Amino acid sequence: MTLSLRSFMRHEAVLGILLVLVLFVLAQQSDKFFTTANILNQGRLMTEIGLIALPMTFVIITGGIDLSVGSILGLCAILLGVFWQNLGLPLPAAMALAVCVGALAGLVNGLIITRFKVPPLIATLATLALYRGLAEGISQARSVRGYPEWFFVLGQGEVLGVPTQLWILIVFAIGAAAILGLTTFGRATYAVGANETAARFSGINVDRTKLLIYTASGLVSGIAAVIFVSRVSTTRSDMGTGVELDVITAVVLGGTSIFGGRGTIIGTVIGLILVQALKNGLALSGVKGDGTIVVIGVVLIFAILASNLFSRNGDG
Amino acid sequence: MKTKTILMAAGLVLASSAAYAASWTGGDDLPTNPLACDATPGEVVAKPYDGGVPTNAPDRNGKKITVVDVPKLIGVGYFSATTKGQAEAAKELGNVDVKTDGPTKANIDEQITFIDNYVTSGVDGILFAANDPVAIAPVLKKALAAGINVVGYDANSTPDARQWFVNQAEFNGVAKSLVDNLAKEIGEDSAFAIVTSTFTTPNQARWIAEMAAYAAKCHPKLEFLETVEAQEDNVLSFNQATTLINKHGDKLKGIVGMTSVATPAAAEAVTQSGLCGKVAVVGLATPNAMKPYVEKDCVKSVVLWNPVDLGYAAIYVLRAAADGTLKPGDTSVKAGKLGELKVVNGSEILLGSPFVFDKSNIGQFDF
Amino acid sequence: MSFETATVRRSASTGFAARTFATYGQEFIILACIVVLFVAVGLIAPRFISPTNLTTIFVGNAYIAVAAIGMSMVIISGHIDVSVGSLIGVLATISGTLAVSGYPVWFAWLAPVIVGMVVTSFIGVLVAYVRIPSIVVTLGMLSILKGGLISVTGGAWITNLPPDYLIAQFRLFGIPSPVWFMIFLTAVAAMFMRYTAFGRSIYAIGGNGEAARVAGIPVERTTVTIFAIHGLFAGIAAVLFATQLQVIQSTVPPNLELTVITASVVGGVSILGGTGTVVGSTLAAILFAAIGSSLIFLNVSAYWLRAVQGLLILATVLADMARRHRIG
Repeated sequence: MTLSLRSFMRHEAVLGILLVLVLFVLAQQSDKFFTTANILNQGRLMTEIGLIALPMTFVIITGGIDLSVGSILGLCAILLGVFWQNLGLPLPAAMALAVCVGALAGLVNGLIITRFKVPPLIATLATLALYRGLAEGISQARSVRGYPEWFFVLGQGEVLGVPTQLWILIVFAIGAAAILGLTTFGRATYAVGANETAARFSGINVDRTKLLIYTASGLVSGIAAVIFVSRVSTTRSDMGTGVELDVITAVVLGGTSIFGGRGTIIGTVIGLILVQALKNGLALSGVKGDGTIVVIGVVLIFAILASNLFSRNGDG
Repeated sequence: MKTKTILMAAGLVLASSAAYAASWTGGDDLPTNPLACDATPGEVVAKPYDGGVPTNAPDRNGKKITVVDVPKLIGVGYFSATTKGQAEAAKELGNVDVKTDGPTKANIDEQITFIDNYVTSGVDGILFAANDPVAIAPVLKKALAAGINVVGYDANSTPDARQWFVNQAEFNGVAKSLVDNLAKEIGEDSAFAIVTSTFTTPNQARWIAEMAAYAAKCHPKLEFLETVEAQEDNVLSFNQATTLINKHGDKLKGIVGMTSVATPAAAEAVTQSGLCGKVAVVGLATPNAMKPYVEKDCVKSVVLWNPVDLGYAAIYVLRAAADGTLKPGDTSVKAGKLGELKVVNGSEILLGSPFVFDKSNIGQFDF
Repeated sequence: MSFETATVRRSASTGFAARTFATYGQEFIILACIVVLFVAVGLIAPRFISPTNLTTIFVGNAYIAVAAIGMSMVIISGHIDVSVGSLIGVLATISGTLAVSGYPVWFAWLAPVIVGMVVTSFIGVLVAYVRIPSIVVTLGMLSILKGGLISVTGGAWITNLPPDYLIAQFRLFGIPSPVWFMIFLTAVAAMFMRYTAFGRSIYAIGGNGEAARVAGIPVERTTVTIFAIHGLFAGIAAVLFATQLQVIQSTVPPNLELTVITASVVGGVSILGGTGTVVGSTLAAILFAAIGSSLIFLNVSAYWLRAVQGLLILATVLADMARRHRIG
């Protein structure tokens, strides 16, 4: 345990150095990059991905994966609009219900995975299609618009000069880090990912742990959906398409092992910031979008490569 | 027990699906405005300027300006053509520096991020083709507030989020052109189906809705069968069109392609099924992709505006807005080789009527 | 993993039928699904099982089936490739560009296969020797290939393809060539997996890498070879994809990697490695095409189409799990 702890702390150190380096280089390229306004704005733009990346870190630490998060986001966004406009519920109730549906969708994932023993990748591949399909079917591809002004505070407003949703992300990140690092639940999460059979024998309720994690993943995707709708002021059934790859990129870049058992929230946060800084900084220095995604691909491989080289004594 | 629940859900899904067979699938629910059945032009209602105004824009009159173009997505033929037109206009003007950058998939979130970054980097002008008219509005308003000139083309935003919108052809005009050509080729009481990209694409949804309204008014006997989705994927479009042919057999007399990807794929499906002349294909498409089918008489006519001209006009409009020569209340704008373009609908600049390509003229176009 | 051991133990002690079912259970289930689908939908809409529509179904996903063969091998060996969609997009563009630039047709067919093998071998080296998890390497490759393709082509379509280049439109005994490719390659790959030492070593690596190493299998070299074979199939799939129509879009086909991976895993390839066959993945690719087609024939509202597809995939997976529980 101490060995692996050291090795993943090493990954974060490598990543942290890389981040500082990237920030430094990008700041040289454009004087618009290192301004408070730009940094806060980037925080606004990365919140949805960042929120979903938190439970995804737990999911991947248990050795699982959740590909359906983008579809859950789309489904919850659509339902928020449908509950509010078509069913005439008050908007706060519609928001709460939409988040509940997200949790339910996550719970269904968890049940398929734990009860039917379907590997998470397959289960969530299937629900990726299913939830997106439900979003399209329920909405009949229609958008819901015209939300009241107060609703936009969540996605477009500020609290104490900082974008509202960034506060939410910070609170959730601290909460997630505390749960993963300090609680028995966090230890159970690592144990399940490191060796499920051993975890089971040592008295950990593996199925309940997984069920909770996948439910949380759905729940947080639902919250991200509400924030997303508030930010873009409309709902569409194709919202959040492809989000799963961005989220997984951030988590994996942050040093969480896809084989389970290793990973930290701080790593995920650094991974997230690194990707966002690259997207933003390269754009500001005049690199086009297609070039940027090439760079992100290279950085992803390089970061894991570098951390592997530094921790050869780890388990690879 | 869970299996039962799933089966019930499936049953529910199938049952509820039957309820939607009545109207044309794929159309949106905005009000329609079908044109007259004959050639009478639509009535022009004078409307005051309803676009936005950039705040404290610096005096850019005659000065070199940096412009970024953020289309719905990059890496597709249609938007490479608009980029080409923009480069052409920028070269003619000599004082515009334009580059195209955008997401690799038609994604509202990524498009917003791109525009946001360019607002921060401090460009003089932004051109856009919106993936969603409402979702893009906040970031465009932010650009206007930063004193940037904002002009849309191809797909509009809410009017107050940009200054001008270059409209390639009005929705009801495109719809009329498509439905008239279809009725001419397959006859008044025949059946047809539609291949579209996705139901959430605003322009396509608008056209389908306008087509339904126009057909109900002017070609009431045309029988609409169904609409299938095929993304912007030509192999999928081909498979979907072939399946439609297989399903409906002799009943199907025409296929309407709603995108420049779907139309050639539908033509290919008709060709490979050996049904040239029996199943008509009409639709929106670029001439290069359609030449083989038009030359072999498999497709009689293709409807489109010239996307190169669209990009070209967008640059001229942006330049005029930056120079202050195009002001709210103006009724026309000069656009280089395209001449005077009319201002319609408050703050839209009309490129012209949709153009119909056929065997006699398709060889003259290369895009 | 416990299913596999259970399956093996059980199959040793029971008769031939049960053994066959245990080994090829998922294939049987998918085959049964296909048959049931054809019969049921055929009864409601007879045109569904007309020869032309059957051809459309088989041709439609043939390139996905071919790509899924290589993907199955990668997944059986315990790895994954999420970049396969971008790779096919790149290879199809290379192939088409060569064809219109006047190179001989055979070269336009061969070049993408070779380039595909080079790219995936590189991935294999990073995975096997540098020990970066395959999902990380291929996530990175996905971005690199996609971004690179758009930078180079700008999405300009490739048109005016020479007629003798369009191999996917050739027919043999009235049946389009993609179907022949699909059948032939699946059969060869299935034999290869079952009867050669190399094929069996793929299962061994996926089942337990360390045990395979102890048993004398050169794990690294084998892994690179597996990825190279995967590139071979991706290259062939790209040629079939590129020659199906008369234009090539020069873009990455949307969600292709998900479709290919789904075909592999629904076809019974365990995502944990070690089990599965390529026959199952080919059948799954056909099943997807049949589902897509049948929903149009059954007049399922296009809005609900994707939801129904998702349900059907889920149902197939759950049916397989139920079967494994029964056996285990």
